[in-house]
Amino acid sequence: MIISTIVFYALAGVLILSSMMVITSKNPVHSVLFLILAFFNAAGLCVLLGAEFIAMLLVIVYVGAVAVLFLFVVMMLDINFKDLQSGFKKYMSVGGLVGGILLAELIVIYSSWSFSKSAPENIKFKTPDITELSNTEALGRILYTDNLFLFQIAGLILLVAMIGAITLTLRTRDGVMKQDVSDQVNRKREDVVKIVKVETGTGVA
Amino acid sequence: MIELLTPYAIQVAFIVLKILLIIVPLLIGVAYLTYAERKVMAAMQLRQGPNMVGPFGLLQPFADGLKLFSKETILPDMANKPIFVLAPILTFLLSLMAWAVIPFGELFGKTLLLSNINVGILYLFAVSSLGVYGILMAGWASNSRYAFLGGLRSAAQMVSYEVSIGFVMVTVLLTTGSLNLTEIVMAERPFWVSVMLFPMFIVFIISILAETNRTPFDLPEGESELVGGYNVEYSSMTFALFFLGEYANMILMSAITVILFMGGWLPPFGIESVLIDWVPGIVWFGLKICMILFIFLWSRATLPRYRYDQLMRLGWKVFLPFSLVWVVLVAGVLLATDSLPV
Amino acid sequence: MTTVASGLEVSLAMSQIELDLNVVMPEILMAIFGMLLLVFGVIRGKNSLRLVSYGSAIAMVFVAYMVLNLPVEQENAFQGLFVNEWFSSFMKVLILMGSVISIFLSLNYLENNNMNRFEFPILILFSTLGMMIMLSANDLMTLYMGLELQSLPLYILAAFKRDNLKSSEAGIKYFVLGALSSGLLLYGISLIYGFTGTTSFETLSQTFASDENISIAVIVGLVFIISGLIFKISAVPFHMWTPDVYEGSPTATTAFFAIVPKIAAMGLIIRILFGAFADLIEQWQQIIVLVSILSMLVGAFAGIVQDNIKRLMAYSSIGHIGYALVGVAAGSIDGVRGVIIYLTIYMIMSAGVFAVILSMKKNDRMVENISDLSGISKSNPAMALLMTILMFSMAGIPPVAGFFGKLFIFQAAVESGLYTLAVIGVLTSVVAAFYYLRIIKVMYFDAFEDKFDKIQGKSLATIMTISGIFALCFIISPDILFSTASEAAQSLWAE
Repeated sequence: MIISTIVFYALAGVLILSSMMVITSKNPVHSVLFLILAFFNAAGLCVLLGAEFIAMLLVIVYVGAVAVLFLFVVMMLDINFKDLQSGFKKYMSVGGLVGGILLAELIVIYSSWSFSKSAPENIKFKTPDITELSNTEALGRILYTDNLFLFQIAGLILLVAMIGAITLTLRTRDGVMKQDVSDQVNRKREDVVKIVKVETGTGVA
Repeated sequence: MIELLTPYAIQVAFIVLKILLIIVPLLIGVAYLTYAERKVMAAMQLRQGPNMVGPFGLLQPFADGLKLFSKETILPDMANKPIFVLAPILTFLLSLMAWAVIPFGELFGKTLLLSNINVGILYLFAVSSLGVYGILMAGWASNSRYAFLGGLRSAAQMVSYEVSIGFVMVTVLLTTGSLNLTEIVMAERPFWVSVMLFPMFIVFIISILAETNRTPFDLPEGESELVGGYNVEYSSMTFALFFLGEYANMILMSAITVILFMGGWLPPFGIESVLIDWVPGIVWFGLKICMILFIFLWSRATLPRYRYDQLMRLGWKVFLPFSLVWVVLVAGVLLATDSLPV
Repeated sequence: MTTVASGLEVSLAMSQIELDLNVVMPEILMAIFGMLLLVFGVIRGKNSLRLVSYGSAIAMVFVAYMVLNLPVEQENAFQGLFVNEWFSSFMKVLILMGSVISIFLSLNYLENNNMNRFEFPILILFSTLGMMIMLSANDLMTLYMGLELQSLPLYILAAFKRDNLKSSEAGIKYFVLGALSSGLLLYGISLIYGFTGTTSFETLSQTFASDENISIAVIVGLVFIISGLIFKISAVPFHMWTPDVYEGSPTATTAFFAIVPKIAAMGLIIRILFGAFADLIEQWQQIIVLVSILSMLVGAFAGIVQDNIKRLMAYSSIGHIGYALVGVAAGSIDGVRGVIIYLTIYMIMSAGVFAVILSMKKNDRMVENISDLSGISKSNPAMALLMTILMFSMAGIPPVAGFFGKLFIFQAAVESGLYTLAVIGVLTSVVAAFYYLRIIKVMYFDAFEDKFDKIQGKSLATIMTISGIFALCFIISPDILFSTASEAAQSLWAE
């Protein structure tokens, strides 16, 4: 019990610190690295909650794929840090105001939080007992049955995103040499090599 | 206070002992993998290989290690120092972390492993997908064009091949019905299912060559054009950590292959006979790993390097569609014949 | 023993899934058509725009037929995630019609402006699919998924002219603001879910009906959800993107924006406010009243100073959404009926207006300033006449169609005692009439400059004509629309 509490505070503390560093650090590459650290700690918190499947997905998808692309782009772009900083000061007051109002609202909401009295029986999918059912299986059971419809729409949304990325960026350029492997493999000796018997002293006509 | 902490202390000491039992043999394995690599390649090229230090050159790896340790660590002037130092540590650490869930064998009815988690295979996949950060960070922090290009190449390559590795894992999971590594090893599947997995085995072997940046996919360190790739600027200990990490990753990937496709620590081809019953599982496990490692070395000695666009083409236009189709096919066949594991 | 029982359960579940699939059959078919056309387009490569467009149009007409002829054994599907009733079917047919019209509107424009890519109709098709799902949403999760499927293609369509700076800017702007509004919506949904423990509309309305102590979090959540949805219909105060996006996007896209998505979003607002939050009417009514007044004011006054006709249409649409919201604010069957009628008429009118805008072409270049229309009554008398009818209709001058739309809306508002709203509505329509009439003045009384190029193809002229005739002849038999709209509105109150 004590250990899990210590682990919780350690993970949560690093999570908060690293997410602060994401927005305050001056070098964008450092920001992305801190973002990765934040994802990692969030995954740790999920493990602590017993949601190991979500934790692993978070690491695989966000840290292993999404953040790599972030890092890739940020490393390749030559970002001028000074320009980024100047805009910050200009919009600081307005941003601060909006943020402050949202924070005040949040405080009001959560300080007077209450649950509806019918909330307990409203919940559609009760959390199963994790000693009986691993949470991978538990998720699979509702994702592919009751929520099949939503799952499929999510697939369609991703398809649309793919169409969009291709439509907006694909260009057919001229003068690009393309390799056609089957062409190369199918090349026959007879098509490309001609054997000529040359008589001495005449040369090839 | 002391009474309160004693049970924890014993537990912690026990875990540390277990970790040491995994790491020390692993590091020795890494040392002899480099030795084996040189010997195997030498044999294939009709040379002798290392034979001066110790009998048959057996102490050569340690001599090399000592040499690396005694050199000066150089931090380039314009490098981003914290990240420059962090990168090799991360690479090395990740290559060790993954071993936490690998089951080595069975002893007195108990599986030998550090931690038996439900989502073992996902953990392995997650840790191996993190490996790219060490290389990317090293390439960027070195502040050198060669290193940076090497880092970018390697990141793109690893991310691309991870996709097909993921699909291969999914196919295997379909036939085992569990994400737990021990259960994957113990899963019983009919012979024809194993046959259906064979193409995926080939895809997996090729993909792990790319994932570990080994020949014929060793573009990140293509010495002919990039001098040495992402680790040009590293020397001494920092270089040694990359080196150790790379070879530990090779062993790890071989271990994953063995667990997914070759029945882990079980005797090969399901032989049950009094003659071999006394052989402990861990020996079979080690032998199988050595077999896969031999493929790594073999391909290094025989195959030329891929060109970068060919590498990408293979990953995205051949492996990805093929493995995607195969996942669907295997799932369909399993469903149709009602042989999905429960 | 247990295996037998579980086998029985499985077979029951299968038949349940088959029933569910029957209910969503039109949506499934639509998705399949979309994917088939995509494959066809990719294989055929260049010059498949026309064929894919016709294919999408045929697919949508077929789906509309399916929607009207669904077997009515079951209305709910997937445990209440999805619901079909007369209201959603009617709205679905309406948006399918609108999408078909905008595909035909866009064809020539795309071919002539170097945007000859087959993805355009496919994106429209997927967006329409998203709208259909939105209109059948009976759960906050379905709502969100439908909304995203609807908006993602819209962002892409806005940036479709990718070499054009303005178009890319429109796409980015729309995307960033759209993502923000989705964030607001999700935040609201999570607050509501936190209080009630459910996302289903039916359970939500039961909970609100039985529970007296509504937490303040619910009200905040409701405000966030309304904000997110209001962004989609571009009502004030979330209207800033509209003029820029309308102006920057390729005109074919603007036509689609103007004709279809707002109807779907409006239908969704009606669904959620009268379905899930019916018992919180006191809370949401004041928000809707305020939004409606502001939209009418901004639409009327900001439109006056516009020179670009696409920008003008943007402000006009803000104003029209304001009027439609009056009907929502009324909170009665009559109000909803008014909204349905209003949206139907507005859709057909704006299709006509955009057919005119898309034929504004001089010396092979598209023009989009109001001054470019000057004196065209001499060179294109038929087009000028149709535009005049449409402008009268937009302004709501009797006896053209637009007048009836407004009439029913204001009637419903008065019956519900919202006199201020009705009065402001009438006053702003007088102000807005100024800019509609100005276009007529420009066309008929300004000096003739340059004639338009001949309209290519028949689709633009046909749509223009049908729309004009509809506006003019609506008065002859308005009953058909009225009775259908009443039935649709009543189906929302059926339970």
